[in-house]
Amino acid sequence: MNAYIIKSIGLAGLNGFDVIVETSITNGLPAFVIVGLPDNSVQESRERVRAVIKNLGYEFPMRRILVNLAPADTRKEGSIYDLPIALAVLIASGQITPAAEDSVFAGELSLDGKLRPVAGMLPMALSARDSGAKALFAPKDSAAEASLARGLAVYAADHISEIIDHLNGAGEICPAEECQPLFSEAKGLDFSDIKGQAAARRAIEIAVSGAHNMLLSGTAGGGKSMMVKRIPSILPPMTMEEMIETTAIHSVAGLTSKSNPLVRQRPFRSPHHTISAAGAAGGGKTPKPGEMSLSHNGVLFLDEFPEFRRDVLESLRQPMEDGYVTITRANRSYKYPSGFMLVGAMNPCKCGWHGHPSGKCVCSEESIKNYMMRISGPILDRIDLFVNVPPVKYAELTSVSEAETSEKIRDRVVRTRELQMSRQGTTNSRLMGGLMKTYCGISREGELMMKSAYEKFSLSARAYSKIIKVARTIADMSGSPDIETEHLAEAIQYRRSGTLLV
Amino acid sequence: MMENNGNKIPDVTVVSLNSSAYPSLLKSISNPPRKLYCRGDLSLLQMPAVAVVGARKASEYGKWAAYNMGKTLAEYGIVIISGMACGIDSWAHKGALAAGGKTIAVFGCGVDICYPKSNAGLMEDIIMKGLVISEFESGMHPSIITFPLRNRIISGLSLATVVVEAGLKSGSLITAERAAEQGRYVYAVPGNIDRVSSIGANKLIQDGASLIVSPDDVASDLGFIRGDIIEKRSLSLGEDEKLIFDAIRFSGELTVDELCAKTCLPPQDVNGLVTVLEMKGILETAMGRVFTAK
Repeated sequence: MNAYIIKSIGLAGLNGFDVIVETSITNGLPAFVIVGLPDNSVQESRERVRAVIKNLGYEFPMRRILVNLAPADTRKEGSIYDLPIALAVLIASGQITPAAEDSVFAGELSLDGKLRPVAGMLPMALSARDSGAKALFAPKDSAAEASLARGLAVYAADHISEIIDHLNGAGEICPAEECQPLFSEAKGLDFSDIKGQAAARRAIEIAVSGAHNMLLSGTAGGGKSMMVKRIPSILPPMTMEEMIETTAIHSVAGLTSKSNPLVRQRPFRSPHHTISAAGAAGGGKTPKPGEMSLSHNGVLFLDEFPEFRRDVLESLRQPMEDGYVTITRANRSYKYPSGFMLVGAMNPCKCGWHGHPSGKCVCSEESIKNYMMRISGPILDRIDLFVNVPPVKYAELTSVSEAETSEKIRDRVVRTRELQMSRQGTTNSRLMGGLMKTYCGISREGELMMKSAYEKFSLSARAYSKIIKVARTIADMSGSPDIETEHLAEAIQYRRSGTLLV
Repeated sequence: MMENNGNKIPDVTVVSLNSSAYPSLLKSISNPPRKLYCRGDLSLLQMPAVAVVGARKASEYGKWAAYNMGKTLAEYGIVIISGMACGIDSWAHKGALAAGGKTIAVFGCGVDICYPKSNAGLMEDIIMKGLVISEFESGMHPSIITFPLRNRIISGLSLATVVVEAGLKSGSLITAERAAEQGRYVYAVPGNIDRVSSIGANKLIQDGASLIVSPDDVASDLGFIRGDIIEKRSLSLGEDEKLIFDAIRFSGELTVDELCAKTCLPPQDVNGLVTVLEMKGILETAMGRVFTAK
């Protein structure tokens, strides 16, 4: 029989799927046809494969070669099928020994047979492992990433001939060593550099402890951006699971490094405010993850919040609510996780001085209002903490008193996060519906307080539950099993006050 | 001479220029009276005061305005000073007394003489609950010279002078003029322009006196919070809450950071306390600053 099957993988969004490369060589006019919804990049692999086979000194069969990529109704893209197609042709024409059934092949070929790395190796490897594959043959430069999928033997090669030798039994490739996660702490910017701003520091600690979204507002020179840029230094370490999730997204976006692919630190992304909606949410013909997904398990920092394009801000809604972005194209929709903690920073008006004691602001009431109105209500509704950052006084700026270091804050954050994870398996900001009822019980006194706050500050239902969640975090920080009135009282102070948005 | 609720009507006390009981505001004018003959509560001389003066012939509107002016300012704990003449002066005193506040009547005659006679009842009230003063010895009768002299004391005792209703040649215009000379605020209650009784006050406004839209204007310009409000607010507060409230009250407005520094409390406590005080309607926050509620 002249038909042979070899396994490979495909990628749709963040999910891999099995691809079976069927090859049949029959008599007839010489032809090399690939079917099974290959896109242009897959079609082109015919030429690379033909050249590689000839350059290696093998015979390219002058018969009718049919390659079918099953499932035939799913679009295949990318150059990763070069390696499996080349091997399939060689096996089907009886020139090399067939591979074991539980082996999967992926890799791009250069014309002389060298293997080139491919994007999205980690999610593909994970999917191959989950569908029962035991071995993955991959380019060396992608191997470190593929080996993050525990339980899958990754055979890394620089050249296709190494793989051919391995199949023929002429020389064995050793499985790549599993990539070891090195826990590293963020070094560099430290919170001890921040002068004064005790209230803002406290708010940031609360936000990070419960992964709450926050918006800092204040006149120029208060140190908003400076503080936010120090957030990475107090983020808790990622779990292995989170590292894999985040690495998978970075892998699909082609952002992982070859030698050290694992994303070990929580991402901190701060796109410029000119970013497009596609850049933020993800896009392209086959959508690649955008900034929102790249900051999954980390922080998405939007400086000059109201300056972002409206469609960008609005596209934040779904991920802030659900923790993932769905991008729909004609043929299918793609779902990328985007569980980020949003940190926004903004000036209170266009000139940036509204509310500054110097009275420098030159904006009219109307223009201040318009500036605020750029952020829509639904977005503001999804922000848990609103913090005003007052300008720093000269005396504080020049004071020598040492502020608390990031290390100390981080220790507390880690403790508070661990408490949340062991109690409910998620951060307080992600407590929904039933979970919130179970874990955010408040006392009768607290209820009375919330009732009068609800009326006094005309809170929305969403604001109400935000306050409860923030209060839960504050209670966790103080190690209190129950939410007490003082926790609620502090949380209410971080609500959106009427004057932030008229 | 008279009995009132079993209390004796106080006798005349003389306060001389170098006495500690002599009001410092009055001492600062160019020709302070050398002696003040007083009947009533001398402590009122040390309290912040506002003069409310106007014409003898008062319209219903003028009476209403004088009464409410006196009443409202008295609620802020401000002493109402006037001349106990008929019309506006009397109504200003009455308003202050109705609010349970303090009032001082400055006489153009001896403090044992009731002028006009029709105000005997009011005079008794003022002596019992407030203070009657004069620079003239007992037994001296009022004359055309004594009233203008008396007017400099009215304005001299006061942080601000409010002219409620005044004709073109009203004596209250002299009081306003003295107030301006003494560097005190002058306010005027506007009136309809079809009345002669409005011309004086309106002309004051034209000349630069502040126009009164509501009686609270004067108090808020002078930085007063209603006394009953302060008291009521302070009464219901815990120790830390009081600390915060007092810090805000004395500084006008503060950021949370400044509050932390002033009260030596950590931000978490300050934030919580501010929320509680906000809900009690005592404080307000805006743009990251904390104010006293209006």
